[in-house]
Amino acid sequence: MGIVLDRLPGFLEPIPGGSVLITSIDAIINWSRSNSLWPLAFGTKCCAIEMLMATGAPHQDLARFGAEVARQTPRQADLMVIAGAIVKKMAMRMRLLYEQMAEPRYVMATGSCAISGGPFMYHSYSIVRGADEVVPVDVYVPGCPPRPEAFFYGLMTLQKMIRQGETIRKPGIRKKPVLAALPQGITIDDLHAQQQEMLEHDNMVDVEQAAAQKIWATRLDQWIPKPSKNS
Amino acid sequence: MSVTVRTLDELLTPPTAADSPLSTQEYFVNMGPQHPIAHGSLRIILLLDGETIRKVIPVPGYVHRGIEKMCEHMSYRKIITLTDRMDYLSALMNNWAVARTVEKAAGIETNSRIETIRTLMAELQRIQSHALWWGVLGMDLGAFTAFLYSFRDREIIGEIFEETIGARLTMNYIQPGGLMFDILPDFAQKVKKLLAYMRPMINEYDTLLSGNAILQERLRNVGILPAKDAVALGCTGPVVRASGVPYDLRKVEPYGVYDKAEFDVVVGTKGDCWDRYYVRMEEMRQSIRIIEQLIDNIPEGQYMVTKYNARLKLPKGRFYGQLETARGVLGVFIYSDGNGDTPYRMHFRSPNFNNLWAVTQIAPGWRIADYIAIQSSLDLVIPDIDR
Amino acid sequence: MDTEALEKLVMGLEAQCRKREQADRAAVDVPVSALEPLMRKLRNEDPLSFDLLLDHTAIDHIHEGLFEMVYLLYSTRHGHHLMVTCEIPRMDSIAPTLSDLWPIAHWQEREVFDLFGIGYDGHPDLRRLFLEDGWKGYPLRKGYTDPDMLEPA
Repeated sequence: MGIVLDRLPGFLEPIPGGSVLITSIDAIINWSRSNSLWPLAFGTKCCAIEMLMATGAPHQDLARFGAEVARQTPRQADLMVIAGAIVKKMAMRMRLLYEQMAEPRYVMATGSCAISGGPFMYHSYSIVRGADEVVPVDVYVPGCPPRPEAFFYGLMTLQKMIRQGETIRKPGIRKKPVLAALPQGITIDDLHAQQQEMLEHDNMVDVEQAAAQKIWATRLDQWIPKPSKNS
Repeated sequence: MSVTVRTLDELLTPPTAADSPLSTQEYFVNMGPQHPIAHGSLRIILLLDGETIRKVIPVPGYVHRGIEKMCEHMSYRKIITLTDRMDYLSALMNNWAVARTVEKAAGIETNSRIETIRTLMAELQRIQSHALWWGVLGMDLGAFTAFLYSFRDREIIGEIFEETIGARLTMNYIQPGGLMFDILPDFAQKVKKLLAYMRPMINEYDTLLSGNAILQERLRNVGILPAKDAVALGCTGPVVRASGVPYDLRKVEPYGVYDKAEFDVVVGTKGDCWDRYYVRMEEMRQSIRIIEQLIDNIPEGQYMVTKYNARLKLPKGRFYGQLETARGVLGVFIYSDGNGDTPYRMHFRSPNFNNLWAVTQIAPGWRIADYIAIQSSLDLVIPDIDR
Repeated sequence: MDTEALEKLVMGLEAQCRKREQADRAAVDVPVSALEPLMRKLRNEDPLSFDLLLDHTAIDHIHEGLFEMVYLLYSTRHGHHLMVTCEIPRMDSIAPTLSDLWPIAHWQEREVFDLFGIGYDGHPDLRRLFLEDGWKGYPLRKGYTDPDMLEPA
């Protein structure tokens, strides 16, 4: 994130009307990001024909989503479309490619091989069962191979996630999906409790806080931004 | 007896530095698994002297899923689903190779309706596969428009497949004992419409790309593979036919109903990239010719000869069956120990695996840009190499 | 030429060559010491002239303690197939290389080495092909276990 955008919330929020400006800037930046995703064509297998090649073709046109600029180098891409099975030998390279992409970066796992190992789940000694063991995945598109229309549904879901999820207050952080493998010491009940807590918090409106954010102070030094629970 | 086992790192020690400040030094360049022309994930290490290639070291294995080990736990019908995912551009032909070997080994006789439909599907898939190859060759050499044209036409063939089979890419249609589904009543009419559309399209492909002066310069007399070398290097399919050897399994050991259709085996003269290019363009035309002769008289009959969930047990022994896919000869070797319906050992003689080795013989002496033309003209599909 | 005539002709080339039963084409079996001379004659002599080595693979007979190496040959000139098998012991499995007869054997033997662990004497570049250089074990052997192989319940 640039220096300007990092400091921008700090500059703008004290100003009357600043937070509205921030949310508008958020909306514009997220809208422009979601409509110009540049995929990294990481296609290893059959899904590459459908997800990367056939969607770029004239019949199902990826250009109408602004995403037909499929790059081969991760330095210029921001969406990694994992199309194909990941094998242990390739997993290290995939992680390297993911780390070479610049933030904000998104990952879409298409096809059942990238979601869970697919038809090679049993009896195979070299496959990685799911790309989310190597990189954090945002959207999963099931199918073997998924139809190009399914890929577009996944792409539009990702666009919606970008538009709703990111803000310039917390750049790069967005609502992450629940991972398949739980880290050490955390159980599914912990996750349920956490989700419950978040739901309750989001559903209960602090009237005072809401009112305070709506009042425009008449003088600049009367405006003290209330710290919200999420930041 | 001495067996010395080496590792990749030992091979990559760079040659010693040059003596005088004006002479050059050879160096290694990695065309790694993520590369625009990788067509999958193939790593090629080039030993270069300036821009001239001295040695090519292919390192496959980035899509190695262990299919042969998995086959030992799966029954023959389940193996068909795996064969789709090897060379996915000729998925129906891969299915047919395994189905044919199992039928020959188990003694199942199919009827002529099944064989005719299998032949038609295989030839349609051959046109589709060559169309994709043509588009990707154009894209690799820099002419991206070819890609758009060929995919437009691929989708039309894909619609016929989708209506009959249900899938666009991984078909799982040709089973030992017959077919998965019967064709729809308007199949013949749709295919005839497709042929009427496709024949002038191939001429349009020629107009677009084949006559282009830049393409001719990049493909003519580049990457010559003589006929004897081609056979000794184990190449099959359009690669060896372009070098002058008329080895086409559809003529030499006919299967399906190929012996009832009249078509030519397209053979090149010199074995350069241009021959490999033009052999495939002509093969598309020959495929159209085959389909035209067969489409009107599809005989009546059942589409599945055995019961669908019958367990296929093969007798004990070694069986080998082969088929001409769009890229070469796919052979299926089954060793069955007689008990159970899973093979003891299943091995796929994959055409791309054997064609890849030819690039180490052809490429040295050419430049990097020529190397791209050579590898594109060999038409490799990487998951078939790695299985 | 047909199966029996071919087999008889091939068995006449080497003294220790026997017929291999339970195969669907002309098949002979040689001990490993006679493999390379037989292959040389198969490639060079005229009514045979097997110039295309279609495939080379191996079968792991764990209960008999053998690897069976299978070579599938084809002649583009005459159009006949032949299967040559050769049994080597499972411990210390070493076989001669055929890469100077058919260049494709170089590549195919590397695959068999990678997956079975059969060493080839005289091979110019014996390395692992599909798996990483540091992989332990040979996956296609029958007794191979790997904690990563998932079995269905």
